Amino acid sequence: MITLYDYELSGNCYKLRLFMSMLDIEYEVIAVDFYPGKEHKSEWFLEINPLGQLPVLEDNGFVLRDAQAILIYLASKYDAGGKWYPTDQPQTLGDISQWLAFADSITSTSSAARLHDGLFYDFDIEACRAGAHRLFRIFDEHLWFAEKQNRNWICPGDHPTIADIACFPYVILSEEGGISRQDYPAIRRWTDRVKRIPGFVVMSGVFPAGPAFKAAG
Amino acid sequence: MAVCSDKTVLNQWYAIGATEEIEPERMTETVLLEEELSYTVDALGSPKVWRTGHDAGELVPSQCVYGYVWTCLGEASGEVFAIPEFSEPDRRNMNAATIGVNVSAPRAIENFLDMGHFPYVHTDILGVEPHTEVKEYDVEISIENDEILATRCRFFQPMASQASGGGADVEYIYRVPHPFCSVLYKSSPVDDKRMDVIAVFLQPVDQEHIRAHMMLSVLDEDNDDKSIRLFQQTIFGQDKPILENQFPKRLPLDPRAETPIRADKSAITYRRWLSRKGITYGVIPAAA
Amino acid sequence: METQHRKWHPIAASSDLPLRHTFHGQLLGREFAVWRADDGYVNVWENRCLHRGVRLSIGINDGAELKCQYHGWRYANRTAGCTYIPAHPADAPARTICNRTYPAVERYGLVWSGETPDGELPEISELEAGSPCALRAIPVNAPADLVTKRLAEYRFQPNAKIDGQGAEITVETAQDGHLSLSSVDGEVSTKLLLFVQPVDSNRTVVRGVLSDRPKQEDELRVFLHHSRRLSSLRDLIEAEAAGLPVPEPMQPVIHRVSEELASMPEQTLSGRTAPLRVEVSRKWETAAGIAGLKLVPVGEQLPTFQPGAHIDVHMPNGLVRQYSLTNGPGETRHYTIGVKLEPDSRGGSQCMHREVREGDVLAISEPRNNFPLRRDAVKTLFVAGGIGITPLLSMARALHHSDLPHELHYFSQSEKHMAFPEVLERLGSGVVPHLGLDPAETGKQLKAILSRYQPAMHLYVCGPGPMLEATRKIAADHGWPDNSIHFEYFKNTNEVDDSSSFEIDLARSVMTLQVPAGKTILAVLRENGVDVPSSCEQGACGTCLTTLLEGEPDHQDVYLNESEKSSGNCIMTCVSRAKSGRLVLDI
Repeated sequence: MITLYDYELSGNCYKLRLFMSMLDIEYEVIAVDFYPGKEHKSEWFLEINPLGQLPVLEDNGFVLRDAQAILIYLASKYDAGGKWYPTDQPQTLGDISQWLAFADSITSTSSAARLHDGLFYDFDIEACRAGAHRLFRIFDEHLWFAEKQNRNWICPGDHPTIADIACFPYVILSEEGGISRQDYPAIRRWTDRVKRIPGFVVMSGVFPAGPAFKAAG
Repeated sequence: MAVCSDKTVLNQWYAIGATEEIEPERMTETVLLEEELSYTVDALGSPKVWRTGHDAGELVPSQCVYGYVWTCLGEASGEVFAIPEFSEPDRRNMNAATIGVNVSAPRAIENFLDMGHFPYVHTDILGVEPHTEVKEYDVEISIENDEILATRCRFFQPMASQASGGGADVEYIYRVPHPFCSVLYKSSPVDDKRMDVIAVFLQPVDQEHIRAHMMLSVLDEDNDDKSIRLFQQTIFGQDKPILENQFPKRLPLDPRAETPIRADKSAITYRRWLSRKGITYGVIPAAA
Repeated sequence: METQHRKWHPIAASSDLPLRHTFHGQLLGREFAVWRADDGYVNVWENRCLHRGVRLSIGINDGAELKCQYHGWRYANRTAGCTYIPAHPADAPARTICNRTYPAVERYGLVWSGETPDGELPEISELEAGSPCALRAIPVNAPADLVTKRLAEYRFQPNAKIDGQGAEITVETAQDGHLSLSSVDGEVSTKLLLFVQPVDSNRTVVRGVLSDRPKQEDELRVFLHHSRRLSSLRDLIEAEAAGLPVPEPMQPVIHRVSEELASMPEQTLSGRTAPLRVEVSRKWETAAGIAGLKLVPVGEQLPTFQPGAHIDVHMPNGLVRQYSLTNGPGETRHYTIGVKLEPDSRGGSQCMHREVREGDVLAISEPRNNFPLRRDAVKTLFVAGGIGITPLLSMARALHHSDLPHELHYFSQSEKHMAFPEVLERLGSGVVPHLGLDPAETGKQLKAILSRYQPAMHLYVCGPGPMLEATRKIAADHGWPDNSIHFEYFKNTNEVDDSSSFEIDLARSVMTLQVPAGKTILAVLRENGVDVPSSCEQGACGTCLTTLLEGEPDHQDVYLNESEKSSGNCIMTCVSRAKSGRLVLDI
């Protein structure tokens, strides 16, 4: 059985809830009171993850921290089709890793801005927002060119990868940190596409998309 | 000189922090009505609040009520409004969360009074399609207390009945005893004669930013504090993107600014009440 | 600034508007929700729901309507009129709630709009001649005039030598809003138009359009060339703008809603109550021009119905219409109705066809049966014309289920116009279709069908007025007594004369009321607090049938048959009046 140490309002935990729903994996949740209880800094939790960070996943005794690492693990173990993390395609793997690192940069800017505005973390808010906009400009250009090549996803191929899952939460939650996506139309279209992946679930603060157009016949 | 020139707003008491989240003898900084403040609670639980911006060091009135430090930047008159249920011995009282929202205080109060959004914003929790109807309810302004009271409010809630696991109408009573605070009573799943209390005390940081303090006073023996809090945080997190996408951010008091329907009775009463009080902070007053 | 409001500006690229997406645009401070409907139409709307100001750009484009995320209000493609308010499914006000729309023209790969643009979108000769190709738009955090000035310094390579260097750039024109640049490198040249979209006082979008589409194999490199070079220029412009004082954001005027919309509508206290809530669980085209709607209960179990019963449906547009239930015996988990699209309808069938969707909640009355089915006939004949099939279908199913002798004669334009074919199939040989007949042929068929009257046979007829009249007459000619002919009109096509004035006595309520010219008995009763059930309110459905104790009625309905009318002991209070000065009603 898989156990997720989870906090509903965390975008990093959402990455895993989202991905496990898409893979149709059953799991249990242990809710960690991130706020106001600061339970992720509590003694019992530090024993599980000395970094004091969410999420942590346990799979039959195997304990793993870090959302991106867990995505790799889940895809490698549970995605029978090997589409989300195609281990037989070196270039795609490299590409995915590059965007997983990019997702971490989004976290350190967009998520930080959200923590500042929502939970009053003492961050340099202007620097967080400027950093997120700098990333979003690059991301929007990347996705615009992907569309021009008839690609829907961050990495080449006709199937989404864990890079899409890793980038999605703190992009879609950016407005909670005062980071508008108005200037990034290609990102906005990509978020619609992610929301239409079978198995998509929302989190608090994320709206579902309507149904996609289906050509008659 | 206070930044806020709205005397009615300035003279109110505001919650600025949950006492249980304050480390004794440690100083915490905050902003209220665009003024920088620091506050602390001593080992005996007495609060102290002082200005740190202009007139730095000047102490301002303070008191601890309902688990929060309250302060007033104008001329404090009277007490913080009453929530008699808070002192009932079998209730569990807690701060569910203090969350910052990029919206004006009155927009957030209006959202708190609204039931029609339950199936769309709190899908599968407080409402679900196709149970979208807002049934007739009553709203009055109590002359005695100068507060808004909405009664006979009912809305279909999925999983409302713990016994049957099915959906049912849940009853709500809403009070607005303060321009930027509201108290909600909701039928208790464990005691059909009493109600749970969910209050929202808004701290206007400026005209378009708030810190929302959510106080719970519930009759619940089954769930631990953590899951009760988490539930409220999930609900509030769902409202946040709606509030932050409302335009204009300040609440327009001109009756022709937006389009009310019967379901908005309590919101209409609230807007008129603010107008009559001459509130200008966080609103767009109706043109004279 | 005023002149800017009267100009056309690009606000999006065509490629920004895939189906089922909502684009977030802005021009001169005013935000737009821009969305393409499935029919290709581009909607440019003010970016706020009229209800509570929530941005519609976070709403859902379902291909025909845009749905607000806050309360599920829906606004229609093209008109931007609100079609559904889920909080009040019973009595959505008949008020016209309409969002603010702005003009939209799609040309040169861009979408053009403006606050109040003068005239038509001007032609841009450079782009009319070529095969225009829009580049990736570049947002710039700087005022539009600064951006326009600096864009003259833009350097780029012609399409055919995109990897070259040192092309000669000429600024051919730089009029307000756009620059026309030409890049020449040796033999080859490319023309580029740069449009400057003033988003807000300190925000601008640069939209480039090449006059000629690059060769397919060069396309990506050309796009990348411009994306990178425009981005570099953007960085320089932003650095310059950062040193300038930041202008105040523009304050677009938010227009007030009409006086009528500002007041909260009162709850309608009409006698036409709609206590039930149903969800449209399925909507499909059951025949050409006829929508089938399956209605399932929201909350409680649906009440029992009898064959021939109808319900009042209260529509999102405020109208109330009657529809017969087609259900078979015991089918109480849903009601199924058929709605024919009437091209000249007052909006009832159009609303049901165009606006009502699967998942919508509708308010309906309890089923009422003014067209009851006897089950003691030696044989029952049903004669249906067109959509008149619906009540007869329910009746035929009831008799079929009990193995009672019957025939269902279905007059229809063609096979594809026959509604609920799957149900008809189950009725087997009891169904006799008569397809594509003109009135004379129809008459001939009816004569054949009705020629074999025997005592205790019953005839049920439902269809268009002329066919109904013809059937009644033919039946009478063939010896069918009045009380064996049962019929239901869709509507009363008679002209109602309401010029008389008279007095009514309510025998049981002990009240005397005056009915003036221009007012119905029903309306006078309601004004005086006497609640009487009613449904169609045009003398067709039979719901308001009242016993008449004294006085001479002036029947104007089509519900009562001749013998009932001449008996003088009943009256339809919604249209009929008095020939005598006074009527005594059993109320």
